[in-house]
Amino acid sequence: MSPHQFDIQLVAIIVAASCSIPGAFLVLRRMSMMTDAISHSILLGIILAFFIVKDLSSPILIIGAAASGVLAISLIEAVNRSRLVKKDASIGIVFPFLFSVAVILLSKYARNVHIDTHSVLLGEIAFAPFDRFILSGMDMGPKSAYVMGSILLLNLFFISFFYKELKVSTFDESFASSIGFRPRLIHYLLMAVVSFTCVGAFDAVGSILVIALIVIPPCCAYLLTDSLSRMIFLSVVFGISAAISGFWVANWLDVNIAGSMAFVCGVFFLVVFLLAPERGLFGIMREKRRQRMDFAEASLLVSLYNQEKGEAVKNHPDSRGMFRSADFASKVVGFLKGKGEIAVTGGGLFLTEKGRERARMTLEGR
Amino acid sequence: MSGRGENPVAPAIRVTDLTVAYGDKTVLWDIDLEIPKGSMVAVVGPNGAGKTTLIKSIQGLLPRVAGVISIHGKPYEKQRKEVSYVPQRGSVDWDFPTSVVDTVKMGSYGDLGWIRRPGRKEHEKALGALEKVDMLEFAQRQISQLSGGQQQRVFLARALVQSASVYLLDEPFQGVDATTEKAIVTILKELVAGGKTVLAVHHDLNTVSEYYERIAILNVGLVASGRVEDVFNSENLMKAYGGKTSFFPERKAARRAV
Repeated sequence: MSPHQFDIQLVAIIVAASCSIPGAFLVLRRMSMMTDAISHSILLGIILAFFIVKDLSSPILIIGAAASGVLAISLIEAVNRSRLVKKDASIGIVFPFLFSVAVILLSKYARNVHIDTHSVLLGEIAFAPFDRFILSGMDMGPKSAYVMGSILLLNLFFISFFYKELKVSTFDESFASSIGFRPRLIHYLLMAVVSFTCVGAFDAVGSILVIALIVIPPCCAYLLTDSLSRMIFLSVVFGISAAISGFWVANWLDVNIAGSMAFVCGVFFLVVFLLAPERGLFGIMREKRRQRMDFAEASLLVSLYNQEKGEAVKNHPDSRGMFRSADFASKVVGFLKGKGEIAVTGGGLFLTEKGRERARMTLEGR
Repeated sequence: MSGRGENPVAPAIRVTDLTVAYGDKTVLWDIDLEIPKGSMVAVVGPNGAGKTTLIKSIQGLLPRVAGVISIHGKPYEKQRKEVSYVPQRGSVDWDFPTSVVDTVKMGSYGDLGWIRRPGRKEHEKALGALEKVDMLEFAQRQISQLSGGQQQRVFLARALVQSASVYLLDEPFQGVDATTEKAIVTILKELVAGGKTVLAVHHDLNTVSEYYERIAILNVGLVASGRVEDVFNSENLMKAYGGKTSFFPERKAARRAV
């Protein structure tokens, strides 16, 4: 691994970790698409701040960008609270407007300034190692690693200080305000944190990857755990894994790095979506099949029990319309025989003692 | 215990001139209401009468056009800790990744204040409250696995953890099983017997006389409030519900007398 490759992965890991942390709360608050809004709106902030300071490398740009992210959120809330427009539509109204204003300003007044709308959207993490942080002549590593590292620290502080407040106001907003927390304040703090994260991350990796890293890892984690703290932890693990494997996929296929990281995020989700033990698609299907089989077994046992005192059921159960097909009926009979709950002799079905017990328990409702 | 901010002579809740509007629609109009300490009070009224709005406005959760709320004689803002709130069960996302005991623990967040985390003491308190609502065995269960009645018990346990003196409940019996309903009533009556005050939005007019001592009948304005035997009559119900109720308390009382 060359130092260049190391630097790219380092930046990607830090970006992934800092995106996944607030992402968990955004997903739980059903606000994932706010990321889209923020990541597009910040262009306006960058440009307005640039008009003021006339310097593309000024940190004022970051503050301007974060401020316009918060502005976008506030406008969306305001449009939404008017109840004249639905929530998703208010997102769709606000951010394209702010973005288009930014594009117009950019092409009218800053034509010869190097803010490339293209790299605003796609970013270019491959260039991250070229922008070095030089401290008194010493090369300290890629600059974006420091910028994103500070943002990661900020996010960690924010989450660990306000974990309880974030949790209660995400779960039950009116209860949270009844016990004296201020959910609206927490909401805007979270949005400010998301804005800062987006600004830093989008400079490093581009907005599509930022959205992918904020939304997808928490969604994967959500399907795998029942605890909020574990969900946040798993999100970070997923984010970092996607960053590293995405880099090597890009290396292998010789394609855009940010793109393949976002792609790997999507693949992760697909796998979890299908295979998560309890909540995955296959898990749910398996559970349904198990319930259906359970019910079929129990109803056969009970009907045998009702005709009890050792008398055989002469007819095969399916002919009495109990099961949807002969195949299914013989499967049920086979399973019960395997469990030793019924015996088959001379074409008749008999309950064993074990089967009788289960039938009795079923009738008593366990 | 409950002496924290209590003025012995003042009513537990006093609402004066409360008016609330959503946009240009008035939801509550000029409500004056006094809830004496140690009483169990039903808030009834037709859909859209402002019952939930009343419960929420008492806690300052909604902007009010006018009105003053005092708890034990002092403004609500200074008495927040005296008030415990059980929102409608349907108002939260029960798929939220958390366990029963952690949800109940949220009741102690108010006392902890900002930043401080719950510890051993809060955990014990949560378990104690779960025992009271007969849900101790579900402590580690994920909240999405609970039935409606169990969810309501969890919400009540969370309120019990708050050790407040005034309990505001929004439809605590909505969609719960009969056993849970009885269990919740028993706990609420115990609270009242211990000098606490309970105000609950209630739907089932059939159980009003059985569960509550006092009642507030609401339909945007306050139709009547007082002891159940004094104001829970068909005249007041007709005023609140119009022709939309076929429930006549007198008839039921007469039946019971026979």
